[in-house]
Amino acid sequence: MPVNLALGHVSNDFLIAALVLYSLSVVAFAGDFAFGRPRRAETSGRVQLAQQRAATLATVGAAGSTASAVPADGQNAAGSAAGSAAGAAAAGSGRTDSMPEVALPALRAIGAAGRWVQAAVALSAVGVVAHTVAVVTRGLAVHRAPWGNMYEFVTALTCVAAIFFLYAMIRYRAWMLGVFVMGAVVVALGLAETLIYTAAGQLVPALQSYWLDIHVTAMTLATGIFFVAAVLGVVYLILDRYAKRVAAGRAQPGHPIVGRLPTIEQLDRLTYRTIMFGFPVWTFGVIAGAIWADQAWGRYWGWDPVETWAFITWVLYAAFLHARATAGWRGRRAHYIQLLGFASLTFNILVVQVFIAGLHSYAGVS
Amino acid sequence: MFKAPVWLAGRRTVVLTAAVLTGVLLIAVLVAGWATGGRSNMTEVDGSQSAVLYTAGHRPVAPEFTGTTLTGARLNFSSYRGRVVVLNFWGSWCVACREEASTLASVAALYRSSGVDFLGVDVRDTTASAEAFARSFGITYPSVTDPGSAITLDFTAVVPIAATPTTLVIDRTGHIAGAVFGSTTYPVLTTILAKVTGKTAAVAVSR
Amino acid sequence: MTDVRVPETDPFDSAPADSGGQPRPGPGSPAAGPFGLADWLKWAWRQLTSMRIALVLLFLLALGSVPGSMLPQQGNDPAGVQQYYTSHPALAPWLNHLGLFNVFAAPWFAAIYLLLFASLVGCVVPRTFRLAGSARTLPPRAPRNLARLPRFAEYATSLAPAAAAETAARVLSAHGFRLRRPAAPTAPAGTADSGGPEAGDPPGGQEEHWISAEKGYLREAGNLIFHLALLGVLVSVALGGLFGYKADRLLVEGNSFADTQSALDEFHPGRLVTAADLPPFTITLNSFDASYISSGAQRGQPSSFDAQVSYTAQPTGPVRSARIQVNHPLSVDGASVYLIGHGYAPEFKVTDARGQVVYNGAQPFVAGATGNFLSQGVLKVPGAQPEQLGFTGVFVPTAVDIGGTLESVFPAADNPVVSLIAYAGNLGMNTGTSQSVYQIDTAGMRQLAAAPQLLRIGQSAKLPDGQGTITFTGYRQWVSLAITHDPGQLPALICGMAALGGLLLSFMVRRRRVFVRARAGQGGTTMHVGGLTRTDASGAFEDEFASLAAELKSAHQQAAQDQAAPPHVPATATPSEGE
Repeated sequence: MPVNLALGHVSNDFLIAALVLYSLSVVAFAGDFAFGRPRRAETSGRVQLAQQRAATLATVGAAGSTASAVPADGQNAAGSAAGSAAGAAAAGSGRTDSMPEVALPALRAIGAAGRWVQAAVALSAVGVVAHTVAVVTRGLAVHRAPWGNMYEFVTALTCVAAIFFLYAMIRYRAWMLGVFVMGAVVVALGLAETLIYTAAGQLVPALQSYWLDIHVTAMTLATGIFFVAAVLGVVYLILDRYAKRVAAGRAQPGHPIVGRLPTIEQLDRLTYRTIMFGFPVWTFGVIAGAIWADQAWGRYWGWDPVETWAFITWVLYAAFLHARATAGWRGRRAHYIQLLGFASLTFNILVVQVFIAGLHSYAGVS
Repeated sequence: MFKAPVWLAGRRTVVLTAAVLTGVLLIAVLVAGWATGGRSNMTEVDGSQSAVLYTAGHRPVAPEFTGTTLTGARLNFSSYRGRVVVLNFWGSWCVACREEASTLASVAALYRSSGVDFLGVDVRDTTASAEAFARSFGITYPSVTDPGSAITLDFTAVVPIAATPTTLVIDRTGHIAGAVFGSTTYPVLTTILAKVTGKTAAVAVSR
Repeated sequence: MTDVRVPETDPFDSAPADSGGQPRPGPGSPAAGPFGLADWLKWAWRQLTSMRIALVLLFLLALGSVPGSMLPQQGNDPAGVQQYYTSHPALAPWLNHLGLFNVFAAPWFAAIYLLLFASLVGCVVPRTFRLAGSARTLPPRAPRNLARLPRFAEYATSLAPAAAAETAARVLSAHGFRLRRPAAPTAPAGTADSGGPEAGDPPGGQEEHWISAEKGYLREAGNLIFHLALLGVLVSVALGGLFGYKADRLLVEGNSFADTQSALDEFHPGRLVTAADLPPFTITLNSFDASYISSGAQRGQPSSFDAQVSYTAQPTGPVRSARIQVNHPLSVDGASVYLIGHGYAPEFKVTDARGQVVYNGAQPFVAGATGNFLSQGVLKVPGAQPEQLGFTGVFVPTAVDIGGTLESVFPAADNPVVSLIAYAGNLGMNTGTSQSVYQIDTAGMRQLAAAPQLLRIGQSAKLPDGQGTITFTGYRQWVSLAITHDPGQLPALICGMAALGGLLLSFMVRRRRVFVRARAGQGGTTMHVGGLTRTDASGAFEDEFASLAAELKSAHQQAAQDQAAPPHVPATATPSEGE
């Protein structure tokens, strides 16, 4: 089937649009740092121990009131008792009930975060839409899954990273991380556009298989997720170093940027959860790759350089997961391991696939 | 908050299970690393596995086959029943075959009047090259072509033909009595033929 | 293995069977008595199965794989290994001694993964027993002061404590929690922590109303399944190595081959495989078609490879036809036949000095790295008289003269030209070691002409010195087929999927406990709800706890309402608390 060049151009245009929108969102995130509302990030928009709250709720039952005493939409940081309970009508309250709140709904949380965050999230969201359209139209243009060479792979994985990060950022209200992750996405996408751009085209016969959709999709997803985890890991290391320097008295506490970032523990947990999401996807990708390799080359594992580096990456992320459960290896060291894993992943994509001859040389980069 | 766990089995059971699993693991890897295949029911002629005699009663049956000779004639192997046949698998591209070619030619001449026929099976070859080979070494006995290794496949089912050249000595009842895996030499081939025909080379000549 | 709170020390220490309750001293400590081999082995085993060593071994595994990807490996690229020897003559033998040209079969690499799996087994087996044991025990009693737990909720209800506890039990049970209630007087003997007054009971035997609930045992099960499945993958790989084989064969169009050892170009049997295990099929290559993109940016890129074959599974069986393509292997009698590569085999006819036709056939040429299937090969004619002849040649599928040199501009054979250099002399084939069909040793030969001879299809060239003639009669294509059999393939896949399933289970399921205490007080019953998780990845537990607490509260509300004003039901319904 011939390649639809017009649709290919549409894809390129949407990608440029995404790049612009992402860049603007990075500016907006940075603006939030500089000018936005002062606050500490909350992992889920609620306070931990409810005893500190002075929420007063009606005692239930005796009056048979139909009030829903559950504060279904929790309370924002300002601490006003928002509960829709008919508290005033109840008799003899005097008793302090404390209930953990359910999270503030996302849109309201965004609104509460200030104009800069609103702008940044909006720009990122529209950028993600444009990015997704770019990826989809590329697929339509070439009549196959749009990750058949390195350019397509990088555009697809950055799309995954952006979508995933957008979800995580909104879920955990981690606005301050936006400048780092979206910034990294912009850089990666920019490099893809300038250095490794390949026009839309057909695939070599070895890649003409439905396994392309399965194996490379999984690897793309996992790489995008690990990309986010790597950026978060770098932020963690910066924060950790700063905290150590403060503890040693060599730096002033209360750095304005650091003060706006999540706590170290929150960042650590977020990174851990991200990798916990990505690791099974990577495992699945390796298994799918082995099945495809058996179909195409006659053996499911041959220690081809790309296979070997995918294995090394898997082992390193497994080491990260083990490190987090080992005393003395949590924290900084574990994140070094995680970054080493991402480095091996990147090395695999950029160097091994392109320069080391093997069965996997489909990068399309000459 | 979390109590010490209750074990399902005693400590000995756990240790034993762990030890057994590790042992199985070790054995599996060792076997995979060092296992070799096995062989069977024959005696060696020259002290190595490359030339063997099958003891009477344990000789595999030589399969029937038909083929086309280099000159284009049809040949049926069953027409050789009642005679001793030296069946040589060769190819003009094969260095070891070129090494043994003159030996085969001379032994063929030696045993011609003793009821021994030589027949070649020309594998993975083309006619022009094969005829040139025969001309070069003075091979006058016929060869059937086996470009697709079909005849070789049939014989491999009964004798482990691993490479070219291979020479089989088939007795008068159509059973394979001896085999040479690799290029054959004068002493080896004549030893086998002596055993099978009952006539040594000297006797054969004097006839 | 991702469980933070599992103590680093061996759980055996919590119930020492043979040291009389005293802590077991390590080697070298002053309190140790005579320290025998058994103690050293135990110490070594404990070290091996520790998380720290597992971590180190994982690093070593990753590090050890690196040279396997950077240096040419014997299994994948034997030609590359040869080339490394020639380009690094001093370094290469040392690397060979270290096993770096065959890393993944090297003993030191095997030692790493063996130790890692031993560590795995040593960790997993006790935990499997522990899990089975914990599956039979009940959750612990509810702590006295739930407010100290990480998650806490408190509210009031007008239900009596007993009824409130029961309602809570129903709600939790509906969510799949395993429950434990305060011990009834007739608790069965043998259940741990059951029956009788206990240290935690309030003085004076005041009745307590609490519920303990626990959920998430599947997490550890998933963890163990994952690690055991990895062991299964290793065993499957060993199985394939023992009973599987790989073979290669190059086949020119029109030719056929039978699957027997002497007909295969390469045969790599597993350790327990002999040539007799090869299935006796025969394949004939009827035709091979390769199509290439003829225009646009991707001109010259292949778009499809298609080999039409006919085959018989046994010598006497029926002839079937099939298409073998990349990603579409042929399955015959347990073996799979893959299309791996292809190329051109130009056909020549050679007449020697005496006028005899000494060669008439196709000779496979191999495509080089220059692209567009510019292929190189040799032709050896040992039957030529009086002198043997040899040729080195270049086959150019679509030949265009660019600046004086002949180049191929397209991989299809649109304008085939062959360029030959002729030699006469001794090919070295009459004695000595066997030669590759694709290489010629011209040491004992002389070149017949200085310039290469260019031929189109049908053209002949007379060789100098009356050595004969060579005619380029045409060309055919060849394919290279891989025949493989791996009985460990399916088990490896199953174990891989099991590993993935176990992984997902262990990541998605959290082991958590929820406690509910109902205390009677003035004006009603105070409900305390506490919760905690055992593992670190507990983000969602906050939400779960919050919604559980809310649900408990509303269930109690509803029950209190029903108690106070039962719903309007027909007279036959018995009043019951909390519908």
